[in-house]
Amino acid sequence: MKPATPNLKGALDAALAAAKRLAPAAAAFVRLESRRDANLRFARNEVTSSGDVDEATLSVEITLGKRHASSDTNQLDPASIETAVSRAIGMAQVAPEDPEVMPPLGPQRYEKAAPAYDAATASVDAAARAKMAREAMALKQGEDLLLAGFLEHYASREMLGTSAGLRADHQRTGATLSVTARTGDGTGSGWAASLSHRIGDMDQVKVGAVARDKALKSAKPTKLEPGRYTVVLEPAAVAELLISMLFSMDARAADEGRSFFAKAGGGNKIGEQIFGPHITLSSPMGDPLLPIAPFGQDGLALSPMTWIDKGTVKALAYSRYWAQKQGKTPTGIPRGVLLAGGTATTEELFKGVKKGVLITRFWYSRPLDPQTLLVTGLTRDGVFLIEDGAVTRPVNNFRWNESPIQMLKNADAMTKETYRAPLPSDFLTIRVPALRTNEFNLASVSDAV
Amino acid sequence: MELTRRRVLKGTGALAGLALASRAGLADARGLLTDPLLEEVIGRALSAAKKAGATYADIRIVRRRTESIFTRDDHIANVEGNESYGLGVRVIADGAWGFSAASQVAPAAAERAAQLAVEIARANAPLLQRPVQLAPVKAVVDTWQTPLERNPFKISLAEKSDFLLTINGALLKVPGIKHCFSSFQGLGEWKLFASSEGAHVEQDLIRIRPAYTATAIDATSGEFESRNHDISPIQAGWEYVAKSTMLADAPRIGEEAVQKLKSPSVTPGKKHLILVPSHLWLTIHESVGHPTELDRALGYEANFAGTSFLTVDKLSKFQFAAPHLSFYADKTTPTGLATCGYDDDGVKTQKWDVVRNGKFVGYQTTREQAGWINEPQSRGCSYAQDFRSFPFQRMPNVSLEPGSKDLGVKDLIAATDDGILIHGEGSYSIDHQRYNFQFGGQMFYEVKGGKVTRSLRDVAYQASTPDFWKSCDMLGGAREWEMGGSFWDGKGEPGQVNAVSHGCPPARFAQINVLNTSRRKGRG
Repeated sequence: MKPATPNLKGALDAALAAAKRLAPAAAAFVRLESRRDANLRFARNEVTSSGDVDEATLSVEITLGKRHASSDTNQLDPASIETAVSRAIGMAQVAPEDPEVMPPLGPQRYEKAAPAYDAATASVDAAARAKMAREAMALKQGEDLLLAGFLEHYASREMLGTSAGLRADHQRTGATLSVTARTGDGTGSGWAASLSHRIGDMDQVKVGAVARDKALKSAKPTKLEPGRYTVVLEPAAVAELLISMLFSMDARAADEGRSFFAKAGGGNKIGEQIFGPHITLSSPMGDPLLPIAPFGQDGLALSPMTWIDKGTVKALAYSRYWAQKQGKTPTGIPRGVLLAGGTATTEELFKGVKKGVLITRFWYSRPLDPQTLLVTGLTRDGVFLIEDGAVTRPVNNFRWNESPIQMLKNADAMTKETYRAPLPSDFLTIRVPALRTNEFNLASVSDAV
Repeated sequence: MELTRRRVLKGTGALAGLALASRAGLADARGLLTDPLLEEVIGRALSAAKKAGATYADIRIVRRRTESIFTRDDHIANVEGNESYGLGVRVIADGAWGFSAASQVAPAAAERAAQLAVEIARANAPLLQRPVQLAPVKAVVDTWQTPLERNPFKISLAEKSDFLLTINGALLKVPGIKHCFSSFQGLGEWKLFASSEGAHVEQDLIRIRPAYTATAIDATSGEFESRNHDISPIQAGWEYVAKSTMLADAPRIGEEAVQKLKSPSVTPGKKHLILVPSHLWLTIHESVGHPTELDRALGYEANFAGTSFLTVDKLSKFQFAAPHLSFYADKTTPTGLATCGYDDDGVKTQKWDVVRNGKFVGYQTTREQAGWINEPQSRGCSYAQDFRSFPFQRMPNVSLEPGSKDLGVKDLIAATDDGILIHGEGSYSIDHQRYNFQFGGQMFYEVKGGKVTRSLRDVAYQASTPDFWKSCDMLGGAREWEMGGSFWDGKGEPGQVNAVSHGCPPARFAQINVLNTSRRKGRG
């Protein structure tokens, strides 16, 4: 029972035509997305809620000289499209001038994108979701566990156009399953997740099993004092801390002295060796491991980028305005980021660790100091002591105060394999390895389980 | 909760009986949606749900408008005006919930959404351990609107942007201020809720969020500090902004950013904290608001937002705070961001205790949840952020009652020998059971011998929730009770945001662990 697919191309043309008719001197940028999102939540070993939502949205930005404004609607009938365009024109006419306004982009040449759309993922129905959830939350006989989780999948088509002739069109799908298992006595908790643009790639039985195993092994944790430890961070933890660094890699904020990447006395840190030679951060294009659109939110063609090459800052993100002002090439905001893996297996990360801590994931990370990128947050869903190269016993959770810069500076081993990490928005796709890092500040004990 | 034809008819019949006068005031908020269309959409959704086998059904038709103006330094950085319409149909079939939503407010789309919602419910029913049971509620036909003087959506863009740019001008005049950002966001939420039990509730809520930040940079050292104005988002009209001291405060806010940059870094250790409402509201939100959510306490949010240390066995037994502290929840306080007439289950909003004389006594609940703790009625906390979202338990306004003595922040300072006074909200983080938290702020002042001596920087405090609230040894009175709030409280999967306010007087907390959050010169 699927509604008719909205005519995005027709809506795009109608919006651009309306802009031309209502304000011939205006430059117009139009973005359309048609999307189906469906999900199933479960908790306490039973389904709790489940939904299926269709929505198409149109966003139009109108620029009149140096004045600009944008307007969104989710009604794609001709009258509503015209209303949205008129509203943007009306707002642009009275908006104060913006000296930083940029003209809309013309036709772009896009890199070949990795396949990101899977028809099977786009057509999953309620019965298939229920079957997957049942398998993810199956308990073994005698297991005293409470399972909670979330299964979601989406299919999206994105279409962009400008009055200067840009046209972009991309389809993608995605599926995520995450499971949290808690022991009946409330002393243990474990978590696992899987993401892919193909729902068929996901192993719901394995995700459930990893979460259950972690919960059982983490039960009745023993006390470990706060302090600076060698830690092995699973990919979800690495990604969460890394993201706070990605957000600060804006060239303008650095050039204006408002970020870690600002150089004392002016300028930015491009060219500086900050990390060891094993740290490389890039945004490849066409990599099947990063199934992303080849254009940014404004339609700008995304080029393959190396942000940090063997420890040296090679690039920061330049908006079109800032690139023009500084005589650089605009990079746009990347949609895919890869922290290159190392050579280790997961087990090898524990090798040689006399006393350390294995951390499953982080929670509630918040910046403390934008200058040093110091972040605070907590551990959750599985923290274990490593002694003499082996994981020995569960320990309490911690609040940590640490910087992604220090995490990468002090990293001395990474897994060869990289993993997609769950993020709050599907605009960005990120892959990271698990890693071992030293002197990690586990600042205080958290009694939470 | 048997769905009968009589009930469906009663529901739609009630529409015809509505006093036109009460709905006329809402016509403007409905936008493109006309009465005959709405009636047809409601009727088609509810009857399609019944026909497909639903034992309960409701529909929410929502129009959501946002307007945002962002400025940077001397110019407008972005202006946006967004509008969306849609309908969401929620059903119970075979004892399970099903939900489907569509962005077309049309009879065919409503019917299709209802059928799909029932299909989903039926597919999920085998994964249930017990059927969903809703606490009874009186089905009402009513309307509710945010009381306001000047609808922000009718104020010209020029007036709003002039106001912001005038503030920026004042900030940039302050020596040392290199950048400033100001913004205004308006959120209009019109919704019509109708259920198979005959409820028909139309509401129009207007919320606004004015804000600005000044950034001071020391070009030589490369160090920078920012100071946000302490104004809170609120449920009100433009009059709140026009009557505020935002513009008059700009020179002071700029000077405070510069002063922060020159301030000495705090020496960590145990200190008394004096926390004023512009700061303390956020601590209440995280450490009182969230742990008293029943779904968290029972594990329903375990996979994302987390659980709560306030488990059901602690209800009416656990000493949560010092005996002179009482917290209440409500969705009725005027200007509160969570305030409305009815929740998204159609339950009339109310006020109740969550902590009385320091003891934990109440949870936040919905119709589905009331029975989980054997309560006869819902507390009216159901909310969905938009048409496409499934309604679930969201936080009401949760506030700290003022103390009985007429104390103000000056009295708290005068009584403190060694402490820190904190204004404004800063960095915040709390664990997934709401025990261990760490909060920063905007401005920090050293208090010595009953006087403010100098400003400090790099301050955060860390504590465990019950220890913190038990350490409260001085509480301000009603005169300085104020509300702060958030536009973006996140919860659920898929994530939804909820706007919520928290009121409190200034208060003092004894011997709290203060940290230094800077790494400059090897600290931290």
